[in-house]
Amino acid sequence: MDRREFIKSAGAFTLMTPILFKEALAAMDQPLVVVAEGRDYPVITRRAINAVGGMKRFVKRGDVVVVKPNMGWDRSVELAANTHPLVVRTVVEECLSAGARKVKVFDNTCNDARRCYVNSGIENALEGMKNVECKHIETERFKKVALNGQFLKEWELYDEALSANVYINVPIAKHHGLSKLTLGLKNVMGVMGGNRGFIHRNIDVALADINSHLKSHLTLIDATRILTAHGPQGGNIADVKVLNKVIASTDIVAADAFATTLFGMKPADIPVTVSAYKRGLGEMNLDRIKVVRV
Amino acid sequence: MTSARISQLLFLVIFIFLFVMTEYRGHDEINAAVNSFFRADPLVLLSYLFAAKEWTWLLLPAVLMTLATFLLGRFFCGWICPLGTILDLITPTIRKSVPIRMLKGNTKYWLLIPILSASLFNLNLSGLLDPIAILLRGLTFLLYPLLGMTAREGWVGLYRLIGERRDTVAPAYNLLRDNLLPFRDTMYPLAFLSAIILLVVILLERYETRNWCRNLCPLGTLMGLLGRFSPFNRVPLGLCGDCGQCRELCPTTFDQGGLNKEECILCMECEHGCPNARISFRPSFRVKYQLPLIPGRRVLLGGIASGLLLAVPARFRSPEKDSRLLRPPGVRDEDNFLKKCVRCGECMKVCLKNALYPSAWQAGVEGIYTPLLIPRLGYCEFNCTLCGQVCPTGAIPNLPVFKKRREVIGKAVFDKNHCLPFAKRIDCIVCEEHCPIPDKAIRSRELKLTGFDGVVRTVKEPYVMEEICNGCGICEFVCPVETKAGIEVFAVKNRAPIAEPAATAGTLDVSGQTGYDVR
Repeated sequence: MDRREFIKSAGAFTLMTPILFKEALAAMDQPLVVVAEGRDYPVITRRAINAVGGMKRFVKRGDVVVVKPNMGWDRSVELAANTHPLVVRTVVEECLSAGARKVKVFDNTCNDARRCYVNSGIENALEGMKNVECKHIETERFKKVALNGQFLKEWELYDEALSANVYINVPIAKHHGLSKLTLGLKNVMGVMGGNRGFIHRNIDVALADINSHLKSHLTLIDATRILTAHGPQGGNIADVKVLNKVIASTDIVAADAFATTLFGMKPADIPVTVSAYKRGLGEMNLDRIKVVRV
Repeated sequence: MTSARISQLLFLVIFIFLFVMTEYRGHDEINAAVNSFFRADPLVLLSYLFAAKEWTWLLLPAVLMTLATFLLGRFFCGWICPLGTILDLITPTIRKSVPIRMLKGNTKYWLLIPILSASLFNLNLSGLLDPIAILLRGLTFLLYPLLGMTAREGWVGLYRLIGERRDTVAPAYNLLRDNLLPFRDTMYPLAFLSAIILLVVILLERYETRNWCRNLCPLGTLMGLLGRFSPFNRVPLGLCGDCGQCRELCPTTFDQGGLNKEECILCMECEHGCPNARISFRPSFRVKYQLPLIPGRRVLLGGIASGLLLAVPARFRSPEKDSRLLRPPGVRDEDNFLKKCVRCGECMKVCLKNALYPSAWQAGVEGIYTPLLIPRLGYCEFNCTLCGQVCPTGAIPNLPVFKKRREVIGKAVFDKNHCLPFAKRIDCIVCEEHCPIPDKAIRSRELKLTGFDGVVRTVKEPYVMEEICNGCGICEFVCPVETKAGIEVFAVKNRAPIAEPAATAGTLDVSGQTGYDVR
């Protein structure tokens, strides 16, 4: 090795060091995505929760917890437009047994709220459970929040979601006409008030804005059955694919990124995921995500 | 308390109960609705038969009521009519002056006969002056929304005052909300007019008791005519020479010296209050009737002629109004609908998304109070069939949900001057997202466009698949463009139902039947 070579390699090494260091660190700190599979939905939901550390990791005794499913459409369970009621109920049960003081389940629905709550099966699944609220949205509870985002400077968000100790995001994996897929990041639209359709004109940036403000402590994607076309409300059983999977992660972007593969797509195909990744909300590169199947 | 009074109160309670029940409360079917009162209404029956010139089994109760009136007389007014009961409850608090002369004589026939005759000429106006409809519209369009708004404002005010702590009293409010209050606060056009009409009927009590009932009400007048030959009579027919107490006791007819059977509402106050216990109501065939029989040839012919004169000019409607004449789902023919619609307001009360509103002048004079769908205010919910269920005459057909979904209300049309992908070359597609047709009646194609900022981007441009659009209006309802929407539903002449998608025939979900046991 002559001097010139030495300087070359030394310089290269110096330049590379931080990157290599980052790589090494990332390997240690890779976000975990759990995929539970099975026909018994309460069982796989529970397994997924346990594999990310158990509900006690998120919910402390006396906490108020918001469990936010997608129940925006007046569609029955098998049509895969709303989160499966058994998945929702299991998450709620786990919260309660972890010591939650109150669990609130709601969604700002697209169809008539009464019909959505009934026909999604979720209201019925939660009926009679103690310390569980499954109320319709009350518009007076929306609070204007300064987001100072790139697209949304401020927006009305639901105060029960803002004031909860723990926010658990329980979307269903679905096709969507505009954003291609709707997963965890898009499910937070259900806590938005006002003229929500407005954000469609810049939806990936807008959702990054909202998700930067309202962090999901745990994202649990219902892929027991997914809607592969004519989303987000479908209506045709032929568009539904039964996968018997539940995906859990504390990293909402990683959860969404993995769920994307269920549709045969890459995370980079979904602008909402890319935008959130760029914003630093989580990891979307599959090779930097640790996937554990249980 | 007399049996009549007990019956009155009972029916008033039933009426209010059914009124409150005429709303979605978690079930797709409404078993008992306030339409029962209209279905047993002889005036509705006659005008329907005259106008539609066909039979419907929905109105069988009205046939029975007609027969009962033949046999018994005008008992409906003194035993059942909720408006009459309300008048009876209020009238003691109103001091009376002298009866209005103008209302006496043939006035009521001048109302009834033109209404029936106009029906023959295809103009069905019976609902305008039907007492049940007057009461129901006053309740639906003003009083009930007012109750809802007051309660909700109070509830919201409490939140502003004490915030989250409001939750401690939530169970009480929820009970009220789930069982009594309207789900949504809605303002209706013609609310004021509807309330004024009801108020006028009540205020007429200033002049004499049951003023509306004896001098104006077309349903009462019709029943009076029907019951005039009933074998069921008050005995004795006239006043007794030594007493005359009936003059004071009778709410309707004895102030003119004798009993006018057409006005007797069989409340039996006279029997109940007779100091000598001489009065009885019983079958008796020997009673001679002394008042003139028919309202008079002049009134009869004049009434028929004025019905005709009313029916023809009322048809006028300026053609541009037709474009937004959106009727409830299942109504395929405007003329046929107008012949059958009672204008009772029940469909508007029950409409899940408050999409239906009473027409003021949009449908012409003949269409006043008929239901119109205004998509910007509410849309027709894909899986809902409530309006057809509560329509008392089947003007809105009662269809199973899989048929109703395919019924065409109108067709959606984009307005490229407003719709964002066209007008501003940016993404939107909220309409496509909400379109409930499983195969999507609104679709989009990706286009590379140079935006007005000079940047080239891919934009999704929407278009309507007209052959599968049912005109439910959700696209117009959710369109995020402010005030005027970028997509609008327009009426169409050909409302043949959209074809059932081949791939999904028979497999469309029947909402509510989830197939999963979630317990």
